[in-house]
Amino acid sequence: MLIYNREYTRTPTMVSVTDLRTMYEQMVTARHYEERLVDEYLVGKQPAFDISAGPIPGELHLAAGHEASGAGVCIHLRDDDTVTAPHRPHHIAIAKGVDLERMTAEIFGRKTGLSRGKGGHMHLFDPDVNFACSGIIAQGCPPAVGAAMAAKKRNTDAVAVAFLGEGAIDQGGFLESLNLAAVRDFPVVFVVEDNDWAISMPKDRVTDVQNGAQRADGFDMPGVRVDSDDAMAVYEAADEAVMRARDGNGPTLIEVQVHRRMGHFMGDAEGYRPEADIDRAKQRDSIERLAEDLRSHGVTDDDIEEIRERAHERVEAAISWAKEQPEPEPAEAYENVFTNPPAQAATDGGAAADVPGDDGETGGDN
Amino acid sequence: MATESRDYTEATETDRELTMSRAMVEAIAWEMRENEEVFYMGEDVADYGGIFSSTTGLLDEFGRDRVMDVPISETAYLGAAVGAAQAGMRPIAELMFVDFFGVAMDQIYNNMAKNTYMSGGSVSVPMVLTTAVGGTYNDAAQHSQTLYGTFAHLPGMKVVVPSTAYDAKGLMHSAIRDDDPVVYMFHKRLMGLGWMPSPSGPKTGVPEEDYAIPFGEADVKRPGDDVTVVTLGLHVHRAMEAAEQLDDDGIDAEVIDLRTLVPLDTETVLDSVRKTGKLLVVDEDYQSFGVTGEIVARAAEGALDDLSAVKRLAIPDVPIPYARSLEDEVNPGTDDIAAAVRELHE
Amino acid sequence: MTDAVDVNSADSWPDDADDVAEGYLANWFVREGSAVDEGETLCEIQVEKVSIDVAAPTTGTVAERLVGEGDDFARGDVLARVQPSA
Repeated sequence: MLIYNREYTRTPTMVSVTDLRTMYEQMVTARHYEERLVDEYLVGKQPAFDISAGPIPGELHLAAGHEASGAGVCIHLRDDDTVTAPHRPHHIAIAKGVDLERMTAEIFGRKTGLSRGKGGHMHLFDPDVNFACSGIIAQGCPPAVGAAMAAKKRNTDAVAVAFLGEGAIDQGGFLESLNLAAVRDFPVVFVVEDNDWAISMPKDRVTDVQNGAQRADGFDMPGVRVDSDDAMAVYEAADEAVMRARDGNGPTLIEVQVHRRMGHFMGDAEGYRPEADIDRAKQRDSIERLAEDLRSHGVTDDDIEEIRERAHERVEAAISWAKEQPEPEPAEAYENVFTNPPAQAATDGGAAADVPGDDGETGGDN
Repeated sequence: MATESRDYTEATETDRELTMSRAMVEAIAWEMRENEEVFYMGEDVADYGGIFSSTTGLLDEFGRDRVMDVPISETAYLGAAVGAAQAGMRPIAELMFVDFFGVAMDQIYNNMAKNTYMSGGSVSVPMVLTTAVGGTYNDAAQHSQTLYGTFAHLPGMKVVVPSTAYDAKGLMHSAIRDDDPVVYMFHKRLMGLGWMPSPSGPKTGVPEEDYAIPFGEADVKRPGDDVTVVTLGLHVHRAMEAAEQLDDDGIDAEVIDLRTLVPLDTETVLDSVRKTGKLLVVDEDYQSFGVTGEIVARAAEGALDDLSAVKRLAIPDVPIPYARSLEDEVNPGTDDIAAAVRELHE
Repeated sequence: MTDAVDVNSADSWPDDADDVAEGYLANWFVREGSAVDEGETLCEIQVEKVSIDVAAPTTGTVAERLVGEGDDFARGDVLARVQPSA
């Protein structure tokens, strides 16, 4: 169900079977990807959980249960549209068309990963499809506004989408982004993924509104809450928002109810979360729901199975490829600080930004 | 992997040992019992007990009013802590990762740190800003920093960096009792978390009763005659391991744990440098314009005639990379410290 | 003199970990010979991702520590023995 904050005259959206199939495939890919990453992540970390052990060390925030949001929004986007995502990005990256092999290699910290092993899973950058994600809450919003600003200055009809969690709507950077986008009519869509939990803090303890789309009211911006993680409902809400932006009519705020099927990060025992809440999350499966929608649009079970198999194969291929990739050489740690490194390049243990003294030369030739 | 812990200080002859996180919490709980106006606020500090176990058990004893979960609104809640402190309360506000200071720095360095001065001393800000620092567990550029230099550099806030359970409790008592703002920076890998094994040093004997360690007193964790190693936080333990290796080769390293950056105990460093003439500073913050440069500068100012060799080891001026091989390269290890001491000793 | 009391790991097992047979000893807080009060935390174990404090069953002295810090153990293994004070 879509809850709008104002009255509109809307032309109902017709979703094509092709789009339904595409969304389904992306969602299945995303779900299988996260489930496989659980296995890979836990290698070396059992029985004693040591966060820095194994092929995928560090934190890992998986998006099982969020798939409808990524798929339902990104299906309306082109490669030249910009997407920024938070620390739980994989389903969005997949739906946006990020290079899955290089993304996986990055998560495994390999030299041929998207960021040469320097970024890891929270800092995936794919300029070919204008995707980036970041680890600081709500801080993907201002850059998305900036991409929208650039599109407007250049008179293209490209748009930007910033994804964030429901906890992030309490962060200053988000609120400032809403205002800046609204006052300038920038072509940006804000998509809040509401999974009810900011790590261990339930929404009602920290946010004063139940419906996050109401944040739009304070900024004279259209807001819509998709009350269920139903891919077709997300599709409809996003279709309108993206169209509004492309037509030059400014930003929209969408909130989508999703469900966190796993912990906040891998290793989170979720002791703070009532069993009933976890069970409820597992029962509502947006992927099953979309399969039902596919069937009611005439797609056969064999077709559906074929899509699933293709998705699974793709995930397996990406993981296999990633695991064969070489690790970065230690000396690479000093590279890529600057696009134009100063003449005196960084050396072992040295300061990467050393510049020659008296001759005052800076930013030498590469 | 944790093994038998070692006692560094003579005051730790007790029957029980605590991890650094439990020692910190013990001090906080004691102060909260003593004074109703002490309270803790932060993200996930209530039911979760703090992401790095900074408040485990406090919710059960003190309730949600005094152990407050706050929205993800650092500017608002850190600024609110400043306001409550100026009203006379004694808040402890937690910045979940020090790397998040960016979204709230105005409240920290322009209000918390400066209001006392800007008011000519007529207001004080008796709050503690606790925050988790440090890397070595592959959390990449935005979640692995220590930023010791950033906070020590800006005037108006005291900066505390415990490296053991004994120090953590004593420094926390002092921090809460201090009428000035104190930034209490605890290293994630020293907390004794089951999911992030700590080296063997941080778990020490901890007296049951309250005790305060004064600020501005460095601790000579290991006396030695050949080379002075000045360090803090995690690298105290790496330096201690290096010192053991060097001992086998007949090199006697003196390891000084700074414990507080503001105020800084220059005298202890100078005494050591006058004795050994050789100074190595080890820091987990970026090399340029930071802690290592400051210590070397003070040694040069105070003991230039005695100084014959100087070296510094720190994170180079690069964002902290994710991949294990890269992070290991940029964060000084035990072997790096031992090698640097050997170079100085030659 | 009464017998030393076993501190059995099974007594501290988390409720929803019935199917888990292994634990890990994350931290010891007392040594052999340490005096302890009943209820005082002796050690911290980890079962799956849950952290549990194991309490002294009686006031007395830690007679023996049977599982080392950093070691795995099976559910039902005795972690330590405490000699009750007279």
